Amino acid sequence: MNQGRPTVLFVDDEIDFLNTLLKRMSKRGIDVRGAGSGEEGLRLMQKSKSDIIVMDVRMPGMDGIETLREIKRQWPLTEVIMLTGHASLEAAREGMELGAFDYLMKPVDIDELLYKIEDAFGKVLIQQKKIKRLEEAAESKHT
Amino acid sequence: MGFFNRIQNYFSSTKEGPLPSDAEALRLDFKERYNNFKLLISANNKALEIMADIERTLKGDKTFGMAYIKARCTAVSVNVFRMIRKMERLAPGKYEALPERYNAIQNEIGSILSESRTVRDDRLIIPLTDIHVELSDIVGGKMANLGELKNRIGMNVPDGFSITVAAYDLFLKDNDLQTEIDRRIQSATLENMENLVALSAEIRQLIVQGKMPSVLANEINEAVRQLSEKSDQPIYLALRSSALGEDASGASFAGQYHSILNVSTENIFSAYKEVLSSKYGVPALTYRLNRGFRDEDIAMSVACLCMVDAVSGGVAYTCNPVYPSDQSIFINAAWGLPKSVVDGSISSDLFVVSRTPEVNIIRSDIVHKERKFVCYPEEGVCRIDLTGEDTAAMPSLTPSQILKLAELALKIEAYYGSPQDIEWALSNETSAEFHILQCRPMQQMNPEDNPGRETIHLPDMPETAMASGGITASPGSASGPAYIAEKAADILGFPDNAVLFVRQALPQWAPLLGRAAAVVTEQGGFAGHLANVAREFSVPALFSLPGMLEKVETGMTVTVDADGLCVHHGRIESLLTNRKASHFLMLDSPVHRMLQRVSRHIVPLNLLDPDSPDFRPRMCTTLHDITRFIHEKSVQEMFNFGMNHHFPEKTAKQLYYKVPMQWWILNLDDGFHAEVKGKYVKIDNIASVPMLALWEGIIAVPWEGPPPIDGKGLLSVMFQATANPHLNTGTRSKYAERNYFMISRQYCSLSSRLGFHFSILETSVSERAAENYISFRFKGGAADQDRRTRRVRFLGELLAEFGFRSDIQSDHLHARLEGVDAGVITARLKMIGYLILHTRQLDMIMSKPAMVLRYHDKFRNDIEKIMNS
Repeated sequence: MNQGRPTVLFVDDEIDFLNTLLKRMSKRGIDVRGAGSGEEGLRLMQKSKSDIIVMDVRMPGMDGIETLREIKRQWPLTEVIMLTGHASLEAAREGMELGAFDYLMKPVDIDELLYKIEDAFGKVLIQQKKIKRLEEAAESKHT
Repeated sequence: MGFFNRIQNYFSSTKEGPLPSDAEALRLDFKERYNNFKLLISANNKALEIMADIERTLKGDKTFGMAYIKARCTAVSVNVFRMIRKMERLAPGKYEALPERYNAIQNEIGSILSESRTVRDDRLIIPLTDIHVELSDIVGGKMANLGELKNRIGMNVPDGFSITVAAYDLFLKDNDLQTEIDRRIQSATLENMENLVALSAEIRQLIVQGKMPSVLANEINEAVRQLSEKSDQPIYLALRSSALGEDASGASFAGQYHSILNVSTENIFSAYKEVLSSKYGVPALTYRLNRGFRDEDIAMSVACLCMVDAVSGGVAYTCNPVYPSDQSIFINAAWGLPKSVVDGSISSDLFVVSRTPEVNIIRSDIVHKERKFVCYPEEGVCRIDLTGEDTAAMPSLTPSQILKLAELALKIEAYYGSPQDIEWALSNETSAEFHILQCRPMQQMNPEDNPGRETIHLPDMPETAMASGGITASPGSASGPAYIAEKAADILGFPDNAVLFVRQALPQWAPLLGRAAAVVTEQGGFAGHLANVAREFSVPALFSLPGMLEKVETGMTVTVDADGLCVHHGRIESLLTNRKASHFLMLDSPVHRMLQRVSRHIVPLNLLDPDSPDFRPRMCTTLHDITRFIHEKSVQEMFNFGMNHHFPEKTAKQLYYKVPMQWWILNLDDGFHAEVKGKYVKIDNIASVPMLALWEGIIAVPWEGPPPIDGKGLLSVMFQATANPHLNTGTRSKYAERNYFMISRQYCSLSSRLGFHFSILETSVSERAAENYISFRFKGGAADQDRRTRRVRFLGELLAEFGFRSDIQSDHLHARLEGVDAGVITARLKMIGYLILHTRQLDMIMSKPAMVLRYHDKFRNDIEKIMNS
């Protein structure tokens, strides 16, 4: 759990796009990792959890919506931002219903994406604090 | 699971009023609420921004495609959805009708977006002998016309078959291409030509690499076999696009798609895919974008026709294509295949035939034809240079052939009842015969735009002339910097509004015509594709000026007078006087109509007055209504939550500025420097950047009239205003009764009531310039409707002068400014502060125009002084 800097996992099957994004985001002080598929994204999450995931929707294998469902099941406190060239009302709706933080359309302005990540991280921090308080409260009852 | 329940219980227990030990939890609860509110506000801003963008786009002066519409609809829906979710967090269970309304609106939008062509006929292949004009939605207009000519008028059309629209759909579906294509189009930034070229190449590659569905391959092979049986020699085919939508609303689609000539039967599949892929060629992509055609409406069927090895070929128009009031028949002809005439690559002979009293050749312009295109015996088409003086200089049609062709053309025109554009070929056999290869209605130019001037006349050479002569391919005159394009890559550097100079009038230059002031070529005639496109886009075009490129240099200012057949040095104003404003080609296009239809469920605002009984979720009929409703309620919820909590630190504080003021402040998060225990907060404890800016504007200029009742200046006005008994009607919530600030360091909302005027200001200012905004709503009372309207108009105009977007509906004003630097925002906030206080002065003067003007100037001066302080 990182107080100052969010850890962000980017998942996209377009490797050129992914690499550019990773480069530009790390220049802006974001702690980045990349995965080329939904499956790889889940494997990386298992190894170590990221605060935020930025993920494509249309990917071969496990698509973004399926992966989102799995992430929200296993790591409900991780915020997921969908970033896609697939402008579809239904997919956006499904993603938001599943608890995506936002559904952004490519091409995205890099600063706008950065702000989204910061906003999502703000939410993560509040949730973390709430849990910490709860744990402390539970502990003080025991003692 | 149990863990989260515990969290919930823990927090819900605080609702009874906090025990001291729970203060920290409550503080956290406030923080979370404020965070939800912040996200709600940011979604609201985003949604409004998209709506404003949709409105701008609807004006029709910029190009957009379906990708734009889908992306905007999706983005606006997502943001409204986020607002609904956040509202649910701020006031659980309170506005349950919202999701219902949202779903209903979404469904409307979704069903418009997903409308698609319905193919009623699922045949993959249809032989030409079975084709007629009623089949145009399955074989395309071009092929349907050929079937009509062959089967119903008995014209000589080469035998063949259509690979239908159903086949195209099958090909895309089998290869799962459409979604992938849509995705790539949406992800690309198409403003720049380089990206467009790259996108085109990618998509064409996807199509060319697609697999032929086996059922389609079998049917094509069978059709080829049946054709071969009718012939005693191996057959060769011409594959031509025959796309849907080509005949829509005066659009030519000239020269966008590939035709592949002289294809041997074993290569038919790859030729088929190549023709399909030309739907995503740069000319076609640009054209659809510029003319507003939906990608999915343009399905490609392919016409496969037996190749005619032509001795000569060309195009016949049944009236003057440039000046339609001239009813003569215009025939362009060249040696060999008509290809060279159609693609504008060489200059061709022109024969003009009058129709009354009988067909009669009234002009023959025979040019030196440097080369011709003929079929290779094995496959493909080759270019042969015509060296023999005789052949090159000889007319490509004899007088009797010309008259025969003119009669054929008139017969076709009579059948269709409108002027026609006909591609023809004269076959190479002993009994030379005309074959009709293509036929379509002529693009009709508005005769009023082009008062009939002679097409071809030799002007006197004025002093300014750098070249003269040639052919008017599209009428008009224009001036701009010259730009010479020689190779394909040169399209990348073409500046807007330049004059394009090229050697040959090839279709590959068409993508530039949407941005060109005029186009000049060394070769090519008015029958070519480029000429068609130039006329369609109303770009003056002067063709066939030999040696032109040696006389001009890129960057030089020139004036092209296409009617006067002259290119001039410099800018000649006298020639430009008749230049008509370029019209908006997007207006009324299929894509534009689609955006208009979806926007009706998004943009209009019906929920105007929060005090009206109709201001409730059930009355929301557009996404804008929902955002307006939620925004209003979210501010109130934030306010009420703060007011109702018995948590001293978080209750509203009264502003103390020299004396206690009638202004209350609710700190949402980090709006104070230090915690305030008592009843008052001093101005120097305020940390909210926007509130401080606003306050500076409020106190900057003392109130000077009408004289306040007790004559004590600014402070007394403030007391008096809030003590106005008319306001205490008992029907309003507390929120509306007083002047309330809700603040954090970056955020400020102010709901104020001074006199009879009610205004709500909301603003956020931070280093995120893209998210900075000011929203100012004003509704003035205590006057007749007419004066109220004039008052909001006065304010709206003043705000517009300082960069706000003002929207006035009846006597409500809503002004917005967004996406600017913090410095601009704080300066404008001072302006608003000033206006909030001083608008009352307008009450008495609104019926006197001279006074209005004087006050406008005074306000302007004051505002500029304040903003610069």
